[in-house]
Amino acid sequence: MPPDTDVQAIETRSLVKTFKTKHGFLKRTTRATEAVRGISFQVEKGELFGLLGPNGAGKTTTVKMLSTLLIPTSGSIHILGQDILQHTTEVRKHIGFTFGGARGLYGRLTGIENLRYFAELYAMSPQQTRKRIDELLGLVGLQDRGNDRVETYSSGMQQRLHLARALLHDPELIFLDEPTVGIDPVGARELRATIKQLKAQGKTILLTTHYMAEADELCDRIAIIKQGQIVALDSPSSLKSKMTRDSYIELKTTNENLPALKNVLARLEPASEVNYAQHAFGWDVNIRTLHPGEVMELLSPLLSSNLIQTLGVRNQTMEDVYVAIIQNGEA
Amino acid sequence: MIGSFFRLGIRQMDVQLRMRVLSLWSLGLFFTQPAVFSAIGMLLARAAGNTSPDLIYTVLGAGIMGMWSGLVFTSTYDIRADRREGTLELIVGSPTPLRRVVGFRSLLNILAGSTSMLAAVGAALLIFNYSFAGINTFGVLISFALLLFALWCMGIFLANLLAWSRLSGTFVDLLEMPIALLCGFMYPIGVLPVWMQKISAIFPIRWGLEGLRESLKGSPTGEVLATKWLLALGISLLYYLLARWFDGKVHDHIRVTGELHSI
Repeated sequence: MPPDTDVQAIETRSLVKTFKTKHGFLKRTTRATEAVRGISFQVEKGELFGLLGPNGAGKTTTVKMLSTLLIPTSGSIHILGQDILQHTTEVRKHIGFTFGGARGLYGRLTGIENLRYFAELYAMSPQQTRKRIDELLGLVGLQDRGNDRVETYSSGMQQRLHLARALLHDPELIFLDEPTVGIDPVGARELRATIKQLKAQGKTILLTTHYMAEADELCDRIAIIKQGQIVALDSPSSLKSKMTRDSYIELKTTNENLPALKNVLARLEPASEVNYAQHAFGWDVNIRTLHPGEVMELLSPLLSSNLIQTLGVRNQTMEDVYVAIIQNGEA
Repeated sequence: MIGSFFRLGIRQMDVQLRMRVLSLWSLGLFFTQPAVFSAIGMLLARAAGNTSPDLIYTVLGAGIMGMWSGLVFTSTYDIRADRREGTLELIVGSPTPLRRVVGFRSLLNILAGSTSMLAAVGAALLIFNYSFAGINTFGVLISFALLLFALWCMGIFLANLLAWSRLSGTFVDLLEMPIALLCGFMYPIGVLPVWMQKISAIFPIRWGLEGLRESLKGSPTGEVLATKWLLALGISLLYYLLARWFDGKVHDHIRVTGELHSI
């Protein structure tokens, strides 16, 4: 049954996943852990949707349920209009997925041999397989290393090969679980460029990441998950604009000047929030305020007295929004 | 459809051979161990004054021991390795059923294990000048084919157990020696207590092996052999059907418990 062209790519309703683990040898006890607690969201076709959240928030569990690797305890999932429990095999033909890290490849086989192996699992013809492998190795920049054993690849190259594997059968919907984890900044930038190319080709992508700048740069919409529940869901710009009342002022000072500076900054509290972070050569001070003008007026003279080494105002970032939601419960 | 089925089979067996079978560990398991077992058994049998056909138990016993150990350890190792390497969830998450992948892999494990029999027979022929004159060749071929089928059916059944839970690997490891003892790999089944003989009847390997022994003794193809073949085939098919039934349960169970990857 081909997927319906007019339906949403992903539709979840009241998704719950509880893991039960048994403990004890003579007296067996069962412990239940609620990893996902009533998640509902929709993803449009062609959309790049981000799932953000701290470790253990339920992101990977959600992705594994969406990609048919886990059965939800309750709730429903429709992928491209099809119920994943009733049409599991059919859904699998139309989705691709990668999970972060180096696992999921056969190290003693070459990149091309790995791709051929997984192509057979999707019943691809030899001609189709050859064509796709050539295209995909080019897309992920591994055309020169395709005949090398995967165990000789760097983490970044393995991650890119994972992406090529997920795209082999040309799926409409792609799940990328922390695709840039463990990759150097240049590799991560290249991978982000590849993800943008996929979006431009009309693919629907669900991305989980810990890198807020990455989510901000790539995603059309973002859902933030905390303790198994969605606590915010909107476009990056809307999420940021919901907290535009705040400005962020950053300054640096030395260890010796910190006590004097603290005395001055104490005047800003509690109207403004002041956070201190020590580093090797002194302190970074971050001020979140509703009145940046007043704060700057107070702080500017301190520059000439050398109490402050640097002073600047910056725009609110996705990271600020994330921290505010996860740490302070704002949404 | 048929083409993609065979391509999948060839690819699975190719990868299985290169990733898991062609290693020094496997060489020892499939080849060295049975040759040594065979040689020791022959020495002991000769020292005790036994002559052929009693030596059949030594040669066949060493061969089947290698095949059985090979099957148990490779089947155990396969699922464990895929779970550890993160490839089990990629296989399960593809449109190809896991049972098909396991089926082809087990087939290769069995074929690789049959080198054990060659090693044992080779040791008997080359070192002890053992003669196979007067054997029932047709019976040997049929019995050996049934023995391979019995091992394959048990292999796919055990692989399901391993997929079911991370902990079941230990249970399957523990099966190796008891089944070797129960099925009389290196001695006539008649020396076992009756209750043990009754238990061993549920393992198709026993019947395939008995057919092979009878054929090597030169017993004509008749009622005795036919009965053993039918039992080997029938019980193997039961294991196959049980594995097929269990397969669907395993597919659901591992997706409920989340045991597709290692801890």
